Amino acid sequence: MSGTAVKLAIESSAAPKPKLRVLLVEDNSLDAELVIRALRKNSFDVEAVIVQDEDSFIEALGTHSPEVVLADYNLPNWKGMEALTILRRQNLDIPMILVSGALGDVLAVECIRQGATDYVLKDGLARLPEVVRRALQEKHERSLRHQAEKDLAKKADELARSNADLEQFAYVASHDLQEPLRMVASYTQLLSERYRGKLDENADKFIGYASEGALRMQVLIQDLLAFSRVGRANATFTNVDCKGLMEEVRKSLASAIQESGAVITDADLPSVWTDRTQMSQVLQNLIGNAIKFRGTKPPTVSIQAEKTREHWQFCVTDNGIGISPEFGENIFVVFQRLHARTEYPGNGIGLAICKKIIERNGGKIWVESQPGKGSTFKFTIPFQSADEGKA
Amino acid sequence: MKSVRQLLIVDDNPADVTLAREALEVCAPGCQISSVEDGVEALAFLGRREKYANAARPDLVILDLNLPKRGGLAVLAAMKAGPDLRLIPVIIFSTSKLNQDVVRSYELGANCYVCKPGNLNEFFAAMKSIEQFWFGAATLPPRGE
Amino acid sequence: MSENEIDILLVDDSRDDVDLTLHALRAENLANRVFVARDGEEALDFLFCAGPHAGRTFEKPPKLVLLDLKLPKVDGMQVLKQVKGDSRTHTIPVVLMTSSREERDMASAYNLGANSYLQKPVNFGEFQKMVKLLGLYWLVVNQPPAAADVPQQIKQAR
Repeated sequence: MSGTAVKLAIESSAAPKPKLRVLLVEDNSLDAELVIRALRKNSFDVEAVIVQDEDSFIEALGTHSPEVVLADYNLPNWKGMEALTILRRQNLDIPMILVSGALGDVLAVECIRQGATDYVLKDGLARLPEVVRRALQEKHERSLRHQAEKDLAKKADELARSNADLEQFAYVASHDLQEPLRMVASYTQLLSERYRGKLDENADKFIGYASEGALRMQVLIQDLLAFSRVGRANATFTNVDCKGLMEEVRKSLASAIQESGAVITDADLPSVWTDRTQMSQVLQNLIGNAIKFRGTKPPTVSIQAEKTREHWQFCVTDNGIGISPEFGENIFVVFQRLHARTEYPGNGIGLAICKKIIERNGGKIWVESQPGKGSTFKFTIPFQSADEGKA
Repeated sequence: MKSVRQLLIVDDNPADVTLAREALEVCAPGCQISSVEDGVEALAFLGRREKYANAARPDLVILDLNLPKRGGLAVLAAMKAGPDLRLIPVIIFSTSKLNQDVVRSYELGANCYVCKPGNLNEFFAAMKSIEQFWFGAATLPPRGE
Repeated sequence: MSENEIDILLVDDSRDDVDLTLHALRAENLANRVFVARDGEEALDFLFCAGPHAGRTFEKPPKLVLLDLKLPKVDGMQVLKQVKGDSRTHTIPVVLMTSSREERDMASAYNLGANSYLQKPVNFGEFQKMVKLLGLYWLVVNQPPAAADVPQQIKQAR
């Protein structure tokens, strides 16, 4: 049974004022009119619904969708502050302002502590429009912030899912592509061997191109797989002795080192908290590059590490051909190359893999270089615990 | 006196069977090679059933894992379960590098496991090594017809 | 070199044969990680991480066991039976390399699960050739079961 709900639509004749839907909890009709008039005066185009008890209040919340609730503290059948409880229960972020006779400071403060947005005296209604305006402003800011947080969470979620899909795709594609590719590579090679000189000259050339293309594709796919694997594999973190690791790295680069006459020096490398296989990969790629992109002199590569307050910083310095600073960021992008395939071999994935590993490890990687003056690749590895930074 | 070597290749990819034949043609021209495309045919061949009644008993089986009807591991298990076929050495020859496939193969009694190489030279080299070891160095179990 | 980084466990009590085998493996650069056991008992201790080899772990088995048949303390067939009979060790490739010409020995060995069986040639040159072939086959071509998924060779990605 609905209570005495009276809808008052008050038309204003002055310049258009902002519409305001007010839910007024008040039993005295004169007081109610005074409140509405105070809001009208130069301020709002008020649409008000007046209620006196809990049931009408709840009903009006649904039908009227108020933007602000103005409540008297003391009603014959109800307490104004109960309105706040109902708003909370329904999860409605609607400002509630107490409009009351003298309450005393202590009680007023208590009401605000309990969640009332503000408190206006019935003989100080001139303040009311300003109070309402401020309450609405705060609410607006609150909902903007809330929405922004929701959007961000949604975006992050989408991104994570999209990344996972992409990695899954890269892995499956590379993996499944290997088989038909193996057929193409093996048989173009067989054709090349069996029929060389037996068909015409063009045939030899065509088969040669096909064969080379297939072999290049095989390496590309293996590189892609390696790249996608960085995300997929569960990294196992342990204390890795980098000095010992360098021995393995040297061994795996043995033929390149021997061929180029490279001199690799490492000094006082620490133990760091990381995945051993991945750390090895990073060092192998960086040192391998240093050897590959050498100048006319035999390559010298030095690996050092220094401890800063926040992390370990590794430097891999070489005397190779150097990199122009404008390409400093580019070189870490997948498949980005700075040279023609005929000048220096490679697919341009080694540095992309390094970057992925280092960043997953919580660090950064970058290069300092000038053309003709060698390069220094630097990367950081965070400490295992906060204590490591001290001492 | 070494009798003619009998080899059975179980692989559903005719391209791989051809490659294997080409490779063995070079290093073991006298070797007799039979091939079947799936696990059911493999066991029928080994059991000399129906159309395989006159099939020769292989000295060596080269077995792929990814087969239709009955997979390579099932064939392996069936072979190693029976008193007769269990002596025949089985080489798993598969593109899979997954450790679980390797371990499972050994657990079921595979004699060895070779990953199918991705390029021609390595493929031929692997075939040659298989032939040289199993038909050149190793002593194979008696045919015991 | 740790006992957990052994590629080949060579079980043979003949000093000459051991020397010959190591020499042949060395020529192929395969001799770095070989452990020699002189009798069956030591071979079992090694593989079952017991006795003086208690520091070894089942997670890092040798890639190959080269096993002679005639051994002191515990003979080769017994070793084979125990290794192939235990779930912790039965996937380890065991290749018998013996001077025995008994067909019965060969049949028993294959029956017990030997991965392969070789008869030691009398001729020095043939012996070397055989070791070279088996080294190449079992250490390079063959894929041994590994306890952990270790990427075989970190390809030099550019």
